[in-house]
Amino acid sequence: MRRSVSIAGLAAALVLGTLGFGTGQKSYVASAQEKTSTMEVKIDNFSFGPVELTVPVGTTVTWTNRDDIPHTVVSTDKVFKSKVLDTDEKFSYTFSKAGTYPYFCSIHPKMTGKVIVQ
Amino acid sequence: MHPFDIKTVVFAKHAQHVVLIHFPIALFIIGVLFDFLAQWKTQRLLAAAAYYNLLVAAIATIPVVLTGILAWQWELEGQKLKGILLMHLVMGCVSSVLIWVVWLIHRRTRRKQEEVLPGYRLPIEAVAVVIVTLTGHLGGFLSGVNGPG
Repeated sequence: MRRSVSIAGLAAALVLGTLGFGTGQKSYVASAQEKTSTMEVKIDNFSFGPVELTVPVGTTVTWTNRDDIPHTVVSTDKVFKSKVLDTDEKFSYTFSKAGTYPYFCSIHPKMTGKVIVQ
Repeated sequence: MHPFDIKTVVFAKHAQHVVLIHFPIALFIIGVLFDFLAQWKTQRLLAAAAYYNLLVAAIATIPVVLTGILAWQWELEGQKLKGILLMHLVMGCVSSVLIWVVWLIHRRTRRKQEEVLPGYRLPIEAVAVVIVTLTGHLGGFLSGVNGPG
């Protein structure tokens, strides 16, 4: 009985852990401890990860190109714009105002992301 | 956006380059194929088909080069290119020049009303097909045909 309970507990933990990991890829909310720190967005396989990032005012977001293909990070509202980022190159921008900042890759306009500054 | 809506064309930006590039690639490769067949079978009709395919391929390079350069200037603000983008730009220009050179060789023979096309055109055409193919491969890689969606 005790053994079956512990197996069920382990399975539940695995399912919950997997679900938590999966949702974490699409959007991310910075915790209080991460305030005013640097947040990272990874560019890989023609997508930004996380696609949606929520950060406090004053946070510096760094995009790193982990793809084999060059990409750019361009704000839809022309707030920021990177040069062409080759593999392992980075681009950073500090968000000093609250708001929603949608962005895309100008080489591959289907690649989009969003930074929500609160 | 509707595919026949004028806004689709206007706002497509560098997507036009990605669409237009298929015309010179296909026409040139088929033109060269016809020329090789014309040489092998000694048929005038195949040689004529090769000539007109090469002519339209050469004309089609003009909007392709223009839209490629405009995409570089507008989307990337003309910044200094490197890596795959630079290779694609250089090889694209070389491909366009080679397509025009091949057509001009055919054109010269026609104007002089010579019966036989010069044999040296065949290796030039073969090299041009390889460079066009490599340029297209780089372009496909850049445009994300291997990516999701």
